[in-house]
Amino acid sequence: MADVEAARRALEDALGPSEVLSDPLALALYARDASMVEGGCALVAFPRELEHIVACVRIAGEHGLPIVPRGAGTGLAGGATPVGDALVVVTTKMDRILEIRSRDRLAWVQPGVVNLDLVEAAAPHGLTFAPDPSSQQSSTIGGNVATNAGGPHCLAHGVTSNHVLALDVVLPDGSVERLGSEAPAAAGYDLRAVVVGSEGTLGIVAAACVRLVPLPAAVRTLLLDFDTVEDCAATVSGVIASGVVPGAMEMMDRGIVVAAEAFAHAGYATDAAAVLLVEVEGAAGAVEPEVAVVEAAARANAARSIRVAADEDERARLWKGRKNAFGAIGIIAPHYSLHDIVVPRTRLVEAVTRLYAIGRRHGLVLTCILHAGDGNLHPHLHFDAREPGTRERAAAAGEDIVRLAVVLGGSISGEHGVGLEKRAFMPLVLSADDLTAQACVRAAFDPDGRMNPEKVLPAGTRCEELSRAAPTVGGPEAGWS
Amino acid sequence: MELIHPHTRGDVVEVVREANDAARRLLVVGGRQHMDKGNPCEADAELWTTQLDRLVAFEPAEMLAVVEAGMRVGELNRLLAEGGQEWPSDASDEATVGGAIAADAQSPRRLRTGRIADTVLEAEIVTGDGRLVRSGARTVKNATGYALHRLVAGSLGTLGVIVQVALKLRPLPGVRRTLHAPGPFATGEELLERVPFAAAVVATPGEIEVRLEGWREEVEEQTDAARTVAPGLEAVDGGSFPTHRPWEDGAVVVEAAVPPSGLDALTEVAGDRWGALLGVGLMWIGLDEPGEPLSQIRARAAEAGGIAPVIHGPGGLGEAALPAPHTHARLKAAFDPNGVLAPGRFWGDI
Repeated sequence: MADVEAARRALEDALGPSEVLSDPLALALYARDASMVEGGCALVAFPRELEHIVACVRIAGEHGLPIVPRGAGTGLAGGATPVGDALVVVTTKMDRILEIRSRDRLAWVQPGVVNLDLVEAAAPHGLTFAPDPSSQQSSTIGGNVATNAGGPHCLAHGVTSNHVLALDVVLPDGSVERLGSEAPAAAGYDLRAVVVGSEGTLGIVAAACVRLVPLPAAVRTLLLDFDTVEDCAATVSGVIASGVVPGAMEMMDRGIVVAAEAFAHAGYATDAAAVLLVEVEGAAGAVEPEVAVVEAAARANAARSIRVAADEDERARLWKGRKNAFGAIGIIAPHYSLHDIVVPRTRLVEAVTRLYAIGRRHGLVLTCILHAGDGNLHPHLHFDAREPGTRERAAAAGEDIVRLAVVLGGSISGEHGVGLEKRAFMPLVLSADDLTAQACVRAAFDPDGRMNPEKVLPAGTRCEELSRAAPTVGGPEAGWS
Repeated sequence: MELIHPHTRGDVVEVVREANDAARRLLVVGGRQHMDKGNPCEADAELWTTQLDRLVAFEPAEMLAVVEAGMRVGELNRLLAEGGQEWPSDASDEATVGGAIAADAQSPRRLRTGRIADTVLEAEIVTGDGRLVRSGARTVKNATGYALHRLVAGSLGTLGVIVQVALKLRPLPGVRRTLHAPGPFATGEELLERVPFAAAVVATPGEIEVRLEGWREEVEEQTDAARTVAPGLEAVDGGSFPTHRPWEDGAVVVEAAVPPSGLDALTEVAGDRWGALLGVGLMWIGLDEPGEPLSQIRARAAEAGGIAPVIHGPGGLGEAALPAPHTHARLKAAFDPNGVLAPGRFWGDI
């Protein structure tokens, strides 16, 4: 049984009274992240240094509180939505960039550093942090690590996992370990690789060593628009099939374009069925040939117009519409739910066509924004929750969207993660044995099930092998139901 | 030594289950190209993956291939080249895909292509207790669950038998060029700074090789940039890379991994048969025998926060304290509860 009051006193002693919150307003604020799921928590703590995180983990363990790590709370799958008498450990006050070493092309940062702040600090060194989730103005590196965040420019550079060299992690037993290395190889299993994307279920990142890549010497941004979604998607396939991987290829359908244009005045064609934002980058000698490939693919697929941003201002305007699209679409309807699925890149057209059919079937407006080059789709369902039954219809449509990804041979999440929202869908993509193996990975870090319960794995998933085979090192049988 | 040649995933499951029943220790073998990477271990039988060699799927427009683990790297790249693409592991043609992944084979072009594990999007493995388990997805992006498919990369066949993988590919570059510039290590560092998008900058004693890949225009532009540092450089189009591999003359080859800024200090104990990947932090060093020079290299690598396993010849992985030792022990216990997969081959007596 959790002793919340004793935990609060111990936390106040360790962190200072101002860094521990338990008033109703705070508990309500931290009861959810940016997802649709509402949870609840008992305490909220704000560590300012490594030792504070260790104290949080130890005290929560002693007093029987589950631990929910949290960055900026921009996650969309409920990974940071607490359940039960949880202690929410918020890392946003650990926001220092510890060092940038240009010779090693790396940076050490605390977990609460905001993604865009790191990007801006690295720029004078001629370097950048490549993952650029749409939330990058507010999301933290710790959160990016937890969700293995993506973003438009992951097309060329890969997702967060490819950019994390080492992590100082506070494990669920309170021990502190450096996983990974500044060196390109390290002794032992690559535990760093599983902590990335583990949604706060394996430990709390106290510091991250991330890889920085050289800023491109040249960038060209193109805006293409099309009469049909099919032509737009075919252009994406055509570019990839030509052997060119642009920095980014972002597709927006008409619903998104109209909303984004009203907000950003980027010059998007609001009568087009779809627009495609393509960015090519790299050495100066690389961008012109790649622009030519993109233009050729666009012409072959009946692009209505091809515009190349003339200068940095125009480029920034084109991106402003895309990066703020999620905020702009509120004008379509008072509420929306945002989904995240991946399909094979060659099945984009089919995916979009069938998504619209799902919207129609449930009587909901559906719009779509795509990291098209990666096959990663973000369908939005728009509705007014005050109308009776709409939430239920949106939930049913959401389930159809997830099932569509599976039918098309894709994945139920590309970058937002599983969290609370999709854990019940995991058996659609993983077998019982696969899930047991997943549970064993989790139990290897957290045998007692202290970290972020009820996330990622479906209820009842257990690592039975572990409890049978390792009586000397394991704790009680782990489970996260 | 018994040799076992399974033809299907089902065969592998059966072999591993029988090994558990009979307490028979298995060494998983692919193309025998990375057998020396790992500590000596006793095994009762070798499980060869080489009959599992089908290309399951390759669609150039997906830039992704699904392949059984026993396919040879040379054969895979020959098939991929027909679609204008490559799997940039740079492991030898005789190596198997699964072997290169399990051994975390290091590509000379890692500066550009990244870790081999970054290319593994999905893996099917047979665990040490004979369960067929899949992790990941056949898409370039995926955020569903724990990345077991990345964990098996570099695990030296001690958690499971990799039987099939989905690989992220890249387009074959139109132009490949090697620049040869005489000069010391410091010249290499200057070249790396002037040519930041090089596929590789390799320093050997007295010479620097820069590998350029891409469009004709960008290769020319980078060649010009390199000439501002090394006016006398010689440019050779095509060919294998790196051209000079002095470390391969050694009976023992060490693969030291340190932060890139630590390479310079490593040259002091590396003798005269080495090659360093600048900007990456890898150095291959040739020795006549393990012994004292290896100990010195390992001490220096450890000072810089790195490691120095032997990848050819005797010498093993070396000593290193494993992080999160309980987590390591639990993983091994969960995935290979009876210890049938090459016990002792991995770091930390795992």
